[in-house]
Parts: sequence; C-alpha cells; structure tokens
Amino acid sequence: MRTIINDILGKFLVFLMALMVINVLLQVAARGLNLSMPFTEELAGFLLIWVGLLGASYATGKHLHLAIDIIPRQSSASTQKRLNVIVNIIVIGFALTVMVIGGIRLVYITLSLNQISPVLEIQKGYIYTVLPISGLLIIYYSFLNMKDNPYTESENV
Amino acid sequence: GKQGGVRTLKLAHTLNTQHSVHKAMLLMAEKVKEKSGGKLELEVYHSAQLGTESQCLELLQIGSLAMTKVSAAVMESFAPSYKVLGLPYIFKNKEHMFNVQDGPIGKKILQDGEEAWLRGLCFFDAGSRSFYTKSNPIESPDDLKGLKIRVMKSITANKMVSAMGAAPMPISFGELYTALQQGVVDGAENNPPSFYLSKHYEVCKYYSIDEHSSVPDVLLISTVIWDRLSDEEKTWIQEAANECVPAQRKFWEESEAESLKAVQEAGVKVNYPKKEPFSERVSDMYDSYKSDPKIYNLIQEIRALD
Amino acid sequence: MEVLILVLSFVILLAIGVPIAYSIGISAILTMLVSILPIPAFTTIAQRMATGLDSFALLAIPFFILAGQLMNKGGIASRLIEFAKVIVGRFPGGLAFVNILACMLFGAISGSAVAAASAIGGFMNPKMAEEGYDKSFAAAVNITSSTTGMIIPPSNILIVYSLAAGSVSIGALFLAGYLPGILVGVLLMIVAGVTSYRKKYPTAPGVGMKEALKKLFDAVPSLFLLIVVIGGIVAGYFTATEASAIAVVYTLVLAMIYKEVKIKDLPGILLDTVSTTSIVMILIATSMGMSWVMSYENIPQSVSAALLTISNNKIIVLLIINLILLFVGVFMDMTPAVLIFTPIFLPVVTELGIDPVHYGIIMVLNLCVGLCTPPVGSVLFVGCSVANISIDRVIKPLLPFFIAMLVALMIVTYVPELSLWLPSLFDM
Ligand code: NA
Ligand code: NA
Repeated sequence: MRTIINDILGKFLVFLMALMVINVLLQVAARGLNLSMPFTEELAGFLLIWVGLLGASYATGKHLHLAIDIIPRQSSASTQKRLNVIVNIIVIGFALTVMVIGGIRLVYITLSLNQISPVLEIQKGYIYTVLPISGLLIIYYSFLNMKDNPYTESENV
Repeated sequence: GKQGGVRTLKLAHTLNTQHSVHKAMLLMAEKVKEKSGGKLELEVYHSAQLGTESQCLELLQIGSLAMTKVSAAVMESFAPSYKVLGLPYIFKNKEHMFNVQDGPIGKKILQDGEEAWLRGLCFFDAGSRSFYTKSNPIESPDDLKGLKIRVMKSITANKMVSAMGAAPMPISFGELYTALQQGVVDGAENNPPSFYLSKHYEVCKYYSIDEHSSVPDVLLISTVIWDRLSDEEKTWIQEAANECVPAQRKFWEESEAESLKAVQEAGVKVNYPKKEPFSERVSDMYDSYKSDPKIYNLIQEIRALD
Repeated sequence: MEVLILVLSFVILLAIGVPIAYSIGISAILTMLVSILPIPAFTTIAQRMATGLDSFALLAIPFFILAGQLMNKGGIASRLIEFAKVIVGRFPGGLAFVNILACMLFGAISGSAVAAASAIGGFMNPKMAEEGYDKSFAAAVNITSSTTGMIIPPSNILIVYSLAAGSVSIGALFLAGYLPGILVGVLLMIVAGVTSYRKKYPTAPGVGMKEALKKLFDAVPSLFLLIVVIGGIVAGYFTATEASAIAVVYTLVLAMIYKEVKIKDLPGILLDTVSTTSIVMILIATSMGMSWVMSYENIPQSVSAALLTISNNKIIVLLIINLILLFVGVFMDMTPAVLIFTPIFLPVVTELGIDPVHYGIIMVLNLCVGLCTPPVGSVLFVGCSVANISIDRVIKPLLPFFIAMLVALMIVTYVPELSLWLPSLFDM
C-alpha cells in the first residue's frame, strides 16, 4: 500500500515539476516572440502551491522534514519510541485541524461563493483541494511513521 | 472581538502609510470612534501585513478579518458585476463616474458582493490608469504597436491592452521595477500615485495620460461579521464610510497632483494624447458582454446616465 | 499573553522533535485561538499556507535546486571545481573562497539569497565534502555568503524597503549596497580562511601550465552558464526568476552532451528536486501563518514600542533597533519584517538624523543574519536541505560566521560613509 501511494504521488509530482519548468520557458519564449500568454504567471503560482504542499506530504512519508531533536537525541531508545509517537500525533493534529478541516472549509467557501481565478478563470476552490489531500496523506504517513524510530534511521549525516 | 464593552474591527489594506487611502482609512477609524463614543473601534493594518487584496477578501469570507479595501478589478473574481467598472473608457468623465458610484447603479454593484459574503460599503476614487514607457511617449495607439506592456492579473486588462495594439505581459509586481530597468518589458500602466510611489518613474521617463480605465477602490465588510453587529453599530460604520468618501476624493486629487508634479521634477515627460483613437480600439469589448445580460444591462445603464 | 503562547509552545515543540514546519504552524494556530474561533482560525492558517506559496519569485527555489542537481549529476560541477582548484587550490580554504565568491556573484545578480544558496550550495557543498571539508562547514559558508546578494544590487528586498519607506530612491539604495555587501563577503572570507587553516583542510598541489589549460578548456562550457544567465538578465531577455528556468535547460542540455545524464534519469532527478524543494516550501508556507499571526496580534509593534522608550541617544537607539531587528529576524521572514518595521523605526531614526538610505542598508543587513538562524530562516533551510544536513549540526560552524556578520553590521551602522559615499558621488 505504502509503495503504491508513494509511486503514484511521486509520478504526479514529477509531472507537476516538469510542467512548472515548461510553463516558465513558455513565458520567456512567448515574450521573446512578442506573443501574449497571460496565464503563465498565474499557473506558476498554482503549480507552486501543489508541488509545495503535496511534496510536503511526500517528504513526511520519507522522514525528510527538518527538525531540531535536542531531547530525543539524548534519550534512551524506549523514550525515543514514545516521543516519536507523540511527535507523530502532534503532526496528525496539525494536519487534521488546519489542512483537512481548515482546508475543506476553504474549498467549500471558495467553491460555494464562486471565486474565479482572474486570468485562467477556473474555480479557485479546485486549487485549494490540495490542502485536504495533502493533509490526509500526511495523516496516513504519520500513522505509518509511528512504528519507525527516526532517530536511529537518520544517522547517515 | 469584544473586550470590556469595546468592539474592535480589523481593517486591512495593501498600501503603505504615505498613501492617501491609508489617510482616509485612519479618518474613517476616527469617525467610527467618535460616532460610537469609543464603543466601536477600527484597527487599520497597512502594507499588506495581513495579505494581498484577494487574500484579504478570502479572509473576510473566512471571518477572521472584518474589513478591507481592494481595487474593484480584484472584486471581479468574487462578484461579476464589478467587471463593468474595469472596462476601458466606460465613464465619460470624472463627474459621470462619481454619479455612477454615488447613485443606484453603484449601490447595485456594491450589493452584488453580498452573495459572496462581501458587503460593499462605498467606493473610493483611485483615479485613472495610463501608460508609462521607457523609450517613447505614447501619442496614439500606433505607438503601442510592438511594445511589451506589463498588465495586472486580469483578463479585462489583458484584452484591453491587446486591443490597443500592445502585447500584454504577465510580470509579478515585485519583479516589475527590475524588469522595466533591464528592458524585459517596455512599459506598464497605472494611476499617478502608484507610478510615483512604486518608483517606476526612476526608470520610465514617459507618462502618457490616456486614462484608459478608471477602476475605483471598494471598501468592504465581511457579511459574517456584519450580521453580528447591532443596527446601531451598522449605522455608525455605514455613515462613517459615506462621510469619508468626499474627504478621500480630496486626498486623492491632492496626491494625484503631487505625484504628477514630483515625477515631472524627476525628469518624466508627461503628455496628454487624444483619447478617441484609444477608445475606438476597445469598443468591441462592450459587445463581447452581450451574452451576459446582467453585465450588459449594467453597461447600458451606465452609458445612459449623464 | 499571545507572545508567551507563541514562544513557549514553539520552544517545547521544537525540543521534543516536532519538525520545524509543523512547530511553526502549531504555535501560530495556538496563538490565534486566543482571539479567533477555531474553524476560522484553522481556515485562515490553511489559506496562509496555500497563498503563501502562490508567488512567482519562489520559483527560483525549485529551479535552482534542479539546476544544481543536474550540475552535480551531469559532470558540470566537477569540471568547474577542477578549474577553481587550479586557481585557488593551493590556499587553505580555497574552495570556501570559491563558494563565497560564487554566492556573492550569484546573489548579486539574482537578488535572491535563497536562489544563491540553492544554486551554489547545490553543487559546491557535495564537492567541498569530497575534497575533505566538513559538510557542516561547507553549508555554513554557503548559507552566510548567500545573504550578501540581498545587499549587493540589484536586490528585491531593497525595493521592498524603498516602497515601505516612501521617499527613498531605489537607485540610491542600490548604490549604497555595494560596499557593505562586499565588506560582509570579505569578513566571511577571513573567517573561512582562518577556520580552514586551523582545521588543516586539504590544499591541492599546484599543476603545470598544460594541465591548467586543459582544465580551463573543460570548464568553458560550464562557465558559459554564468554568461547565459547573467547576460540574459542584463540584456533583458528574462527576469532573475525566469533565469532559473533557463539555467535548468542549459545544464540539462550540457549534461546530455556530456552523456552523464540520460532521459530515463530525469524522473528521479525531478523527484529529488521536489523532495528538497518541498521541505523548504512547507516551512515557508507555515512561516506565512506565523508572520500573519504576529502582525494580527501586533506583537512586533508592542515589543518595539516598549524597548524604544529606553533612550534618546543616537548610538544607543541604533543599538536597540539593531537588537530588536536581530530578534525579529530570528522569528520572522525578511519581507514581512521590512514591511512592518520600516514605518515604525524610520521616523525614529530620521528624527535622530540618520539618512533613510543608510538605515535601509542597516535594516536589510540586520535581517540577513536572521535569514540564517532557526527557527524561521529561509536561507538556513535551503542551505541545509541542499547540503543534506540537519539544522542543529550546522549551528556550531555557523557561529564564527555570525560574528563576522555582526561585526559588519556594527561597522555599517556606525560608519554611515560606507553606505552613503557611493550614492553621494552620483548626487543621490
Ligand atoms: Na543582489
Ligand atoms: Na531566522
């Protein structure tokens, strides 16, 4: 299951990243040819939101997020295990309240109040769906992370 | 929030403390305090501390911010009626514009936002936008041909600049100063105070006052918050807003004159091209709204007004 | 009350090992709950996170990280380093000097410290590690020197300052930035040189003329990247942010020509880029939430108002302002800090007869230090993630460089001529 999700998420992120490069090249090329492509700037911003937030959930799955683990480093293995569970519960709490609940509320407001993006003229609410999606993925990965001990794994520094 | 019987409403805008709009906001805060005998206060946040214009509108809908001042152009994404205000040469002159804003048409547009939980309180003057360029003055639309002009994120603005013959280019506002300096774009368009305060006059030495659009600013309050206010509080706010309008118009006129004087002292050549050749180029834009009766009728009403 | 919740919750969360990005977000939300109902509070932070990333300028981060990856895997970085070693390899800390100079040059042109840290750090740090430098030292060099580009023109943050300050010319600010920026770079080099000498970092043996020419020849196509990027910006073909995408294309083509990167490698490289990028992006996203809460609760204003009542003496007020800004820089990103504090401090300092141009340089230089400190320090985040090193490991090697930056700050603060001499030559 974890590998399937990683795989799909990874492929989608690669696609978004490639699209991001192409979009900016298009902006430069169009300007060079004196053609007008007004959507490129707006699209770039939307892609950044998606890559940043979805990528953050991918990084959670891979234990990549930066942390200052002063206490865990000096603790015994059993305390480390307990701390790891607490840390993951806290992360789940944040993802659930802000990204899932807050995100769904934001999607609901922008969709039901019909906010249209100024240039591409698409529903802004669709852009914000990345918040609850990433939130759910972060929750899923954090549950899996509870079983690991990140403090012994990430010593390859 | 309400503390010790005093309710404080937060009002955020994106301009800095020297801008005439900020002065108008402070005046409004004063008036609200005066009218309520200190029971209702406005706290003004400047310089986009709480977000850009469209972000502040979302915060109003979310309910964490009470009031904001945005350009009517930004309101287009939230309430379609505002589109008519951004159309090029929609107003015959300043008097006509104020008549529209102060009359029933203005009221209708302000109310249109309520469906999006954004109650319009009043319009503020934001002058007219004109082209500024690096190498040549714009005397007629022909001078725009082949020029790359930066426009804001708005379909209406893009269509307008295209119709006039230039190539509209998306450049983020933060990069615009350097983009103008290095020649990534040949020019941009804005009202005199923004041209002055953005320092773009240090790079663009030609300001051609064609006054192609006169998008006003709008003061809005979240309906989430508004519905929680007592009738008395509502009256204080609406009255204070109404009373600020003439003062703001005066502030704006002063800052427009000051800005034009200052940029000219800094070596900018200001010219006043004939407007007809420009307005002819964009006349088709009105017809494109025929498929949207609500907008089209508003356009007709505005044009019918004196 | 709000300040207490913010700081306490944050320290506790960090200490028990909650990732920094989430710690920032959670303290922001806890602070917010004092005055905003839960659902609007959650929704507001969610909105700040998403819209905080909706910024064209941020594109430079993923693109320069991608270009850095391609340079490493495509054999471009190694050719550049081989050539650099011919020139400075014999000196202790030679590669550290190269790193600093490259960051200064790159930051100067792109106007973005984050871009410099990701672009230069991305290929310099692994190479320095290969040559026997400590990874943490290499990262510290890269992080601190990247900030010089914020002061050496063109600089986006000086534009932001000028807009916040009102009647301050961007042209004058740009001229004022040269000498202080170079001063910082030189002081960083001294620290790097001394550290390298003490730690006995390896020096390369000198090479013969023929060998040197061959290495130069090998490096020419790679060096040409600089000409393409810098030349394109100066000639007006693209903006500094767009240049990052051009750099990607150029390095990709070169790496393909060198046959060290194949099409089938690209998805892997792109995914690595996304991982590194998103670690930074989520930090930026939640920092936006934190900055918003601080503004909303007027925290910066109340702290500074209290402190500024202490004295009327010019030297002491400047010292206090510097201390406040250093403190602010620790917790806040540069742009919101400039926007919030310029209107607060500028009237105070102009009253004391300090030139607004001079003050702008002081303020930006000061906040540059903050860019390199945890918990909210975008350059630190980028520098650590491209170097693949945890933040706490880089703190100790950073300290001597911080001291160099603080010395520079004191000189710039109390020697106004350093900032004002160049503008005065041009009557600005
Ligand atoms: Na720079
Ligand atoms: Na910091």
